Amino acid sequence: MTILTRRLFRTIQAGRGQFLALVLIVTLGVIIYIGMSSSYNNLSRSQQQFYQDYAFADYTFQVVKAPESIVARVEALPGVLNASGRIQKDVPIIKEGQERITGRLTGYSLPMENELNRLHLLSGRQLEPTASGKVAVLLDPQYARANLLAPGQDMEIIADGKKVSLAVIGTATSPEFIYPMKDAGSLFPEPERFGILMLSQLQAQQILGLPGQINQLLVDLAPGVDEEKIKEQVEKILAPYGNITSYPRKDQSSHLVLQAELDGIKLFALTLPFIFFLVAAGIQFIILTRLIRSQRLPIGVMKALGFDNCRIMWHYTSYGLAVGLVAAILGTGLGIALTAVLNNLYAQFFNLPNMTNEINFRVVLYSFLITSLVGIASGFFASRSVIRINPAEAMRTQPPSSGRRTPLESWYWFWQQLSSSWKMSLRSIFRNRGRFAVSVLGIISSVVLLVFSCFSLDATDYLMNQNFEQINRYDYMIRFTEPVKYSEILDWTRWNEVQRMEPMMEVPVKLHAGGESKDEVLLGMTPSNRLKRVYDKLGQERQIPEEGILLGKRVADKLGLQVGDEVVVETTLGIGPSRSSRLTIMGINEPMTGSGSYVSLATANSLLEEQELASAVLLKLDAARMPSVENRLQEMSRVASVSSPARERETFEQLMGTTTTSIAIMILFAGLLGLAIIYNSSVMTFNERQRELASLRVLGYSRGEVSGLLRKETWMQALLGIALGLPAGKAAGAAYIASASTELYSFPVIIYPRTYFIVAGLALFFVWIGQQLAIRKVERLDMVEALKNQD
Amino acid sequence: MPNEVLLSLSDISKTYTMGEVKVEALKSTSLEIYRGELLVILGPSGSGKSTLLNLIGGIDTPSSGQMLFGQQLLSNGREKALTRYRRQEVGFVFQFYNLIADLTAAENVALAAELVAEPLAVDDVLRDVNLWERQDHFPSQLSGGEQQRVAIARAMVKSPPLLLCDEPTGALDYETGKMVLRLLRDIQKNHASTVIIVTHNTAIADMADRVLRMRSGLVAEIVINENPLPPERIEW
Ligand SMILES: Nc1ncnc2c1ncn2[C@@H]1O[C@H](COP(=O)(O)OP(=O)(O)O)[C@@H](O)[C@H]1O
Ligand SMILES: [Mg+2]
Repeated sequence: MTILTRRLFRTIQAGRGQFLALVLIVTLGVIIYIGMSSSYNNLSRSQQQFYQDYAFADYTFQVVKAPESIVARVEALPGVLNASGRIQKDVPIIKEGQERITGRLTGYSLPMENELNRLHLLSGRQLEPTASGKVAVLLDPQYARANLLAPGQDMEIIADGKKVSLAVIGTATSPEFIYPMKDAGSLFPEPERFGILMLSQLQAQQILGLPGQINQLLVDLAPGVDEEKIKEQVEKILAPYGNITSYPRKDQSSHLVLQAELDGIKLFALTLPFIFFLVAAGIQFIILTRLIRSQRLPIGVMKALGFDNCRIMWHYTSYGLAVGLVAAILGTGLGIALTAVLNNLYAQFFNLPNMTNEINFRVVLYSFLITSLVGIASGFFASRSVIRINPAEAMRTQPPSSGRRTPLESWYWFWQQLSSSWKMSLRSIFRNRGRFAVSVLGIISSVVLLVFSCFSLDATDYLMNQNFEQINRYDYMIRFTEPVKYSEILDWTRWNEVQRMEPMMEVPVKLHAGGESKDEVLLGMTPSNRLKRVYDKLGQERQIPEEGILLGKRVADKLGLQVGDEVVVETTLGIGPSRSSRLTIMGINEPMTGSGSYVSLATANSLLEEQELASAVLLKLDAARMPSVENRLQEMSRVASVSSPARERETFEQLMGTTTTSIAIMILFAGLLGLAIIYNSSVMTFNERQRELASLRVLGYSRGEVSGLLRKETWMQALLGIALGLPAGKAAGAAYIASASTELYSFPVIIYPRTYFIVAGLALFFVWIGQQLAIRKVERLDMVEALKNQD
Repeated sequence: MPNEVLLSLSDISKTYTMGEVKVEALKSTSLEIYRGELLVILGPSGSGKSTLLNLIGGIDTPSSGQMLFGQQLLSNGREKALTRYRRQEVGFVFQFYNLIADLTAAENVALAAELVAEPLAVDDVLRDVNLWERQDHFPSQLSGGEQQRVAIARAMVKSPPLLLCDEPTGALDYETGKMVLRLLRDIQKNHASTVIIVTHNTAIADMADRVLRMRSGLVAEIVINENPLPPERIEW
């Protein structure tokens, strides 16, 4: 080890607090970088692998029903590599206690080798191609877990109007069920109330009374073909069979969620760590600049001895490199731990078999390269001042520390009002503008991260409140297996428990305009409805028009439609032939979730050339008697499902538990960043003003008063940083929302006022700890030593 | 009397500019320095002694004039050549020692030793200056005389042909000062080095082979001393 290397270690040792603070900041960056990048790689690789190995379809077509022979015709189209026909239908599951929930019955042709969207068995045994005997079923693991169903147990469903008993034989997943959600409009999965039921195609056809029929067609396309063209060709073939909807893989609900998650992690992996790296680089630059300024004499001596500029610059630059390397080593270890935590979290959310939990060595290598580069770059720029040091001059004089006037002093009256400790602090700030600016920028980053972490909590809270308190004011929504005449159930209103009942009609349609078309579900409600209301994402209530349509913004944009235009509405409901009508657009609605298209109940019925039909009703009850009503409803044969916002809210709150963990980690990281910044800046101020502070002590100032001098400077950094960081945090949130809005959600940028207070409080708390750590130096300040040693 | 020219300065001058004010610290000066001689530069404070020594040592650059070390031109402002010159040819001893505070005595010496291919052994040099026992002490734990001896050891360890000392006894008491002068004399004799001592103490001139007197940035006279006295016999 050369003498200069030894000296480097001694410098680090002497200022170990600062060194550790820098290492902490860079380490946090590395942890996030490795944790997020590895998770991204693991998740993305598992996704690709699963999609490929289990042949995830490129396109899915839904028909009312069609003969199996149709598959061969589609397969014969040029550009189509493979096609599978199957049965998929939502059926009521009858739980113990007669509660009805939804099961998505899905049939599989056995053996499965050449089928698309194949099953991967997770537990139990595989389906067998027999049509006789008891119907065997595989469940998605979340449903099985939530409902305590194990192989060997039975469950009951209603299929084709009859109760059917199914034997559970295990759990399985498939590329389309990685994140099982009832529909794209659901806010979150509800495994207690929705499950995937996988069984052999023959048995599915049998119990649904559809022998030889399919209602879904999965298509695998050759790479590089024109998707739109093939879609049209397939739709032409399917037209006689009632083509309800068709969607590409990118719109499939499970894929949509997984992909949004992947995009999110990627964005974070590529931005967050660099905030930490940049802050560290800035602070390091300031530390080294200051160190070099205080070491003019030894640098002059080294030059006189014959050291060249490069060697001396390298001596100081290697401080930065040391920070980078230590941080990379620590960060790699902790980043690997974070990867494991995240992987666990994702394993709970996503049914991805063989989820790889690998440490990507490229990511680790990049961490070392990036941190080294950050250290070397900041070290290099700081140590360029070495070149200008002339040895003869360095040994002759010390540069007089510039006791210049601050611009504030020209405000004579203001300046006169200040106590001398404020004057000293302000002069010190102006003397070290660079350091002050770097600290303020660092605090801004830390506050932005804090706001950003809390912001997602606010946004979801707002979303939930809007959803559960403003939009959905009913106690139960009862969906029917098939639309019913409203008059037939009107007698429910006479039940004692029922305060109010309102009908609803969901109409799946294709909207056409300007040669484009888009699938959409229109919600028909009486304009005077009170139990379910329409709010846009800004929280404004929207009125359902008596005539015409209130159109969702996303569809409107896709079709290029505006208020006053007409749109062609083609019904695709599985009952009766499809019909087309024209509706005038009365308004455009941008909801937070879902599609947001509404018509009046009367319009919905007239689209179908029907009257008084309702696909669901909303009930408002006397809270006390709810269980009795629920039991009664569950027993009715036409009832497909009974859902309750209160129950959904519980499920959601459980789900949020895991998210809070990651938010807590982010808050901790952001806080530590602020702490390290303030610690550093306090220590630097202390070192620089050590003699001055010692003189004050000699004059009779107390420790507290002397510490107060240091605190003034850091409080000013902190307050300025917080004041600027709060709006910057909101802007960052808005930018994130703009980039991350999916088909599923469109959050408003909601930050509650209390959040600003919480963030400011958190920031001040961490700042205070940083100060406390640094202030200890004042306690240990040895007056004699400090006044003797001229550095 | 050796007379091989080691270094020659011709029409060297140095002007410092401080804002509006120009200080001509060294006016046009020509001078030859011989291998193995002990040269004492004498003059009152502010007469330009240090300026001249710093130019000779290559830690400052002249405003005009030419400086040749052997065949090599040093005055063309090339940083690389100057650094190499300082590294290979020059040892410097300063009035205020200028040891590096966070290195021990031995490390201060070793720092210089690392710069050349064939340095003297650090242990030997420390023994020569009688500080072997104190090698692990930091400068703040050493007396002024001890620090100055470490500084001399640091300059010697590279075994440079040219040893430059700026007021080496200026901060020391009489006895310690004499010991340091003895050490410098021994180095000149034993290692055949050229030793240049800058001082305002006229008594020290008695030990020189040549004495250069300066006055207000000019070389007033150069006197050859036929019978240099051993430092033991100098009194002041
Ligand atoms: N770096 C400098 N900047 C300005 N003036 C200087 C500088 N170095 C020396 N001087 C001036 O040059 C003159 C000679 O200085 P110096 O060589 O140090 O004298 P000596 O060593 O004989 O006491 C003095 O007037 C001094 O103030
Ligand atoms: Mg001098």
